[in-house]
Amino acid sequence: MSGEDPQDADCGEVLAQLWLFLDNECDHERREFLRRHLDDCGSCLEEFGVEEQLKALLARKCGGDHAPDALKQRLRQSIREIMMRQAWLSTER
Amino acid sequence: MGVVGVMSADSAEPTQTGQPESRLEETIGSRASAEELPPGSVAPDIDAAGLEDLEGQDLEDRDVGPGTADQSVQETPQQRIERFERDAMPLLDQLYAAALRMTRNPADAEDLVQETYLKAYGAFGSFHQGTNLRAWLYRILTNTYINGYRKRQRQPVAQPSEEITDWQLAQAAQHTSSGLRSAEMEALDRLPDSDVKDALSQLAEDFRMAVYLADVEGFAYKEIAEMMGTPIGTVMSRLHRGRKQLRDMLTGVARERGFLRDAEVAS
Repeated sequence: MSGEDPQDADCGEVLAQLWLFLDNECDHERREFLRRHLDDCGSCLEEFGVEEQLKALLARKCGGDHAPDALKQRLRQSIREIMMRQAWLSTER
Repeated sequence: MGVVGVMSADSAEPTQTGQPESRLEETIGSRASAEELPPGSVAPDIDAAGLEDLEGQDLEDRDVGPGTADQSVQETPQQRIERFERDAMPLLDQLYAAALRMTRNPADAEDLVQETYLKAYGAFGSFHQGTNLRAWLYRILTNTYINGYRKRQRQPVAQPSEEITDWQLAQAAQHTSSGLRSAEMEALDRLPDSDVKDALSQLAEDFRMAVYLADVEGFAYKEIAEMMGTPIGTVMSRLHRGRKQLRDMLTGVARERGFLRDAEVAS
């Protein structure tokens, strides 16, 4: 499959760096190099698409939990108690 | 008094391999050292630590660094708690979700978040408002988990080898080597959230945290490296391997669920 690509020599390098592209971790020059290759190389682009979807899938499905209200109440209570002690101390000084 | 004893001495240890140039590291590190006691002494409670901070505040804050402290030098406890409520509390759900992915159970996640927030409140006087509060909180969370909480867990921690060359060479490069194509990937959208979360939870812990922080929370490599106390190359290696394993696992789950037939998987 990869043998059909005109820029086959670059494919290995590009595939190794797809995540840098997706994670927005490469500089402009590198980004442009990758983008140009992806525009021309269907196989790499397909691979890119899979990785991109994987990243999006995780973001969509693995977050979004809500902390229990009891935890929030307990935390506010604890912090308020600390604050009260600090306030008391500062009036003592 | 639910807070007493939450900050045990071992949970307050400094990062394993920290970057000393980081201001946050100093902040957390100085808190940790203030809480360290001679062997055999009784663990301090958070209230005492909080009071120490307050007593030292007027002098310390001027010396912490540029821009620390317009607000903190003169901030009253009431003002601080209001600022904390306004800025930090809205992030609680996010931090809880992250804690849940790290600890993998709700009770431990609650403990971890509580410990994180109490530490954060204790150090909030020296937190500079211009810096990234969200990253700061995640860093305390990750630190607390790695250095304190994780040691108390019974399960052994997987320590895969992870040289930088690993991720660079590993991908030497066939297209679609793991057999999952875009079209099939879409089938994964039909998986319930719990399946994807389960797959993530099966990754080795360091992989799981790196993948979560990058893909769900969108942190940069550098930020993750600081949070986890590792070089950036290690973060990249963990991401690379974690994502690859996840991809393989999700393919398997999708197949089990009948969303993906074997014939559809590219060879």
